[in-house]
Amino acid sequence: MNALHTVTTPEAEDVLAMAGEVWATFLGEEPLLPAGPAEQAPGWSAAVTVTGAWPGMVVIELSTAAAHAVATRMLGTPQADEADTTDAVGELVNIVGGNVKSLMPEPSVLSLPVVTTGRIAVPTGQVEVVRLDLEWLGEPVALRVHAHDDSTEGGIR
Amino acid sequence: MHALIIDDSRTMRIILRRILGDLGFTTAEAGDGQQALDAIAAGPVPDLCLVDWNMPVMDGYTFVQRVRANAEHRNITLMMVTTESSHGHVVKALAAGAHEYVIKPFTPEAITEKLELLGLVRNGVPA
Repeated sequence: MNALHTVTTPEAEDVLAMAGEVWATFLGEEPLLPAGPAEQAPGWSAAVTVTGAWPGMVVIELSTAAAHAVATRMLGTPQADEADTTDAVGELVNIVGGNVKSLMPEPSVLSLPVVTTGRIAVPTGQVEVVRLDLEWLGEPVALRVHAHDDSTEGGIR
Repeated sequence: MHALIIDDSRTMRIILRRILGDLGFTTAEAGDGQQALDAIAAGPVPDLCLVDWNMPVMDGYTFVQRVRANAEHRNITLMMVTTESSHGHVVKALAAGAHEYVIKPFTPEAITEKLELLGLVRNGVPA
């Protein structure tokens, strides 16, 4: 059996629509636009994990400029330091992750967000089921949803 | 009218502070449920608490239970503001004593509308 047959996945269009609403609500009028894969590694990454009926992980990757723009816009300040950026990007993935969770079978529990510079590690046993390569303010933004694959040993549940 | 904003994200506290400030509320902030209980004990007792669900140390659901277990705090209005959007979470929070439930993302208008429904805001200012 193909491993993906055991994985429940959200629809990419639903994830994109939800992310667009989050962006419009907190980050201003400039839309998230479809784009090709980023040529460079992300400057910042943030993730939340979901455990329960739908075990999975939601990851947002942003360029450094995009991450700082997230922070300044959410905080309403002209500049953002590293702590500001960590908090703002963490809240962004918390909201996006919570809304992805709402698309999936319940009951599930959402973790607190993890934020790091660079790329975030995805645990063994998670397969990427949605990848949205996007552009915001001319900067790369990627939204990835991983789901636990029952056929993969050693993963988280 | 005094509000206590309880969220582990400083970013979200700032967003909510801006909205409540525009409505004429004075505000205080706490980063988790335990900090919020400590703030209430120290005073002033808030008229309104905006409560996130997922927080370290003490989550918002436990905070709601603890506030409702104290008869001295029966006049505090509790409004959940959270990404937890399942029917089960909403029912659980309301059964524990929360008065309203707002799901992130929200607009300032959504918060204002809920506060009007609760009778805490009228014509854009605290009632």
